[in-house]
Amino acid sequence: MGQGRQDSQYLAKMKKVKIKELISGLQDFYLLSLRGLVGIIRKPFYLKDTIEQMDYAGAGTFLIIFLVSLFVGMALSLQLSAELSRLGLKMYTGMIVGISVIRELGPVVAALVFAGRVGAGMASELGSMVLGHQVDTLRVFGVDPIKKLVTPRILSSLLMLPALTIIGDAVSLFGGYYIAVFVSHQSSTFYWSSIREVLTFENVFAGAVKPFIFGYLIACICCYTGLSTKGGAIGLRRSTTRAVVTSIIMIIVSDFILTRILLYALGFPV
Amino acid sequence: MILFDKVWFSYGTRQVLKDLSFSIEFKEKVAILGGSGEGKTTILKLIVGLIKPDSGKITIEGEDITNKTEDELRGVRMKFSIVFQEGALFDSLNVKENVAFCLREYTKMSEDETDKRVRELLQIVGVEEAIELMPEELSGGMHRRVSIARSLAACEPKMFLYDEPTSGLDPINADNICKLILELSAPPSPPLSKGGIKGGGRGFIIVTHKVFDAMKVADRFMFLKDGMIIFDGNKGELINTTIPEIQLFMVELNLKPL
Repeated sequence: MGQGRQDSQYLAKMKKVKIKELISGLQDFYLLSLRGLVGIIRKPFYLKDTIEQMDYAGAGTFLIIFLVSLFVGMALSLQLSAELSRLGLKMYTGMIVGISVIRELGPVVAALVFAGRVGAGMASELGSMVLGHQVDTLRVFGVDPIKKLVTPRILSSLLMLPALTIIGDAVSLFGGYYIAVFVSHQSSTFYWSSIREVLTFENVFAGAVKPFIFGYLIACICCYTGLSTKGGAIGLRRSTTRAVVTSIIMIIVSDFILTRILLYALGFPV
Repeated sequence: MILFDKVWFSYGTRQVLKDLSFSIEFKEKVAILGGSGEGKTTILKLIVGLIKPDSGKITIEGEDITNKTEDELRGVRMKFSIVFQEGALFDSLNVKENVAFCLREYTKMSEDETDKRVRELLQIVGVEEAIELMPEELSGGMHRRVSIARSLAACEPKMFLYDEPTSGLDPINADNICKLILELSAPPSPPLSKGGIKGGGRGFIIVTHKVFDAMKVADRFMFLKDGMIIFDGNKGELINTTIPEIQLFMVELNLKPL
């Protein structure tokens, strides 16, 4: 009887601690996201760290984005050519590839690749810095870890993900072009003219806003998860996995929300 | 003086420190002993305000640091030179950049002056030859030495805090680190004094589970068990203690038979 009461008291205490941890975790996340962003315009500026992060995020991810985007564009064009041929609407392949890639697939695919490579790298690097007391050392030296570690990563993501998305979009369109022209035997001129037709301000704007939001989300989630690492190698594995999984879920969820807002704001009928 | 007044601290549901009260003068040479996970490192982190106690009060030179913000804590942290377990050198920087970190961050030293100062500090800790190496190329002993040099570059400390400075080191390297700890805290005397750092008569707190190493350097010993201090005394009292947990520690090190 006494043991049972002790157990339930312990469980109640655990529950209380978990709720407290969740609330303080959310508060810490918002503070980190905000302070990380504000750090871009406040001294001191860590230019060297930012350039290093941009190199890691941009140059290091370029090839993966290139390959993934190329095959996404080719697969999309292939699927559309097959389906549209049955309906006698093959000439719309370029237009649909263009809209899908520019407005939806390009930003999402680039963000997912970015989260998998750069986000995982951020979380594991910061996590290992936490476990190795390097972050504590920064604090002891009076250096704000958010300014030194988080702001350069947010800034590099804000700059690099949109750039990579533009490259990815172009590569996807070329992939789609290759399939449409050389496999599905469509007119090259018609493909590019239908792409040009969909390159309207609304479509480009809808596709251009997303990478900034995704980049910011990925950097904040992965930095926060990395900086909250606890518990040795297993804790590091757990935080890296959590960073990538949370980023992926947030990319998909925010993509839906952004699409809804942008379609409404840009006056697209739904 | 460092004063802990009824300090409680927990990690989630695990209570680490329970009603801890003690005081340490800056000139004292103190070893905090205890097994793994007993909260030794936690005490160091509380002293420099890296974590906050659940309850109780921590006072540094009469200044309550319990509820201070990061900016307010900077002044407090400058009073200490802390060397974390395994050195905590920045992986992406080489030895020179690690030691120069605070000089570049807070001083307007030219590159030549920085280089000179870094070499001077590395010479004091005896690893000048490692100046261009990356942290992963250093041995465990060199790691600790570079870390000590880096913490010396950060400030003019009133006290050194060492977190397991000899763990993972062979007996010779561990002995060398102990000698360095003693040299850095030796009473002021002109031949030892280099750049105002070596031999400032400053005290230290060393947290370790290696009683043998602690005995080489410290004058006062505190033993942590289950979040409480079960022993606080000098070397003689430690050797002659009848507390079973401490006797077990001594036996493991072949210092005292059961």
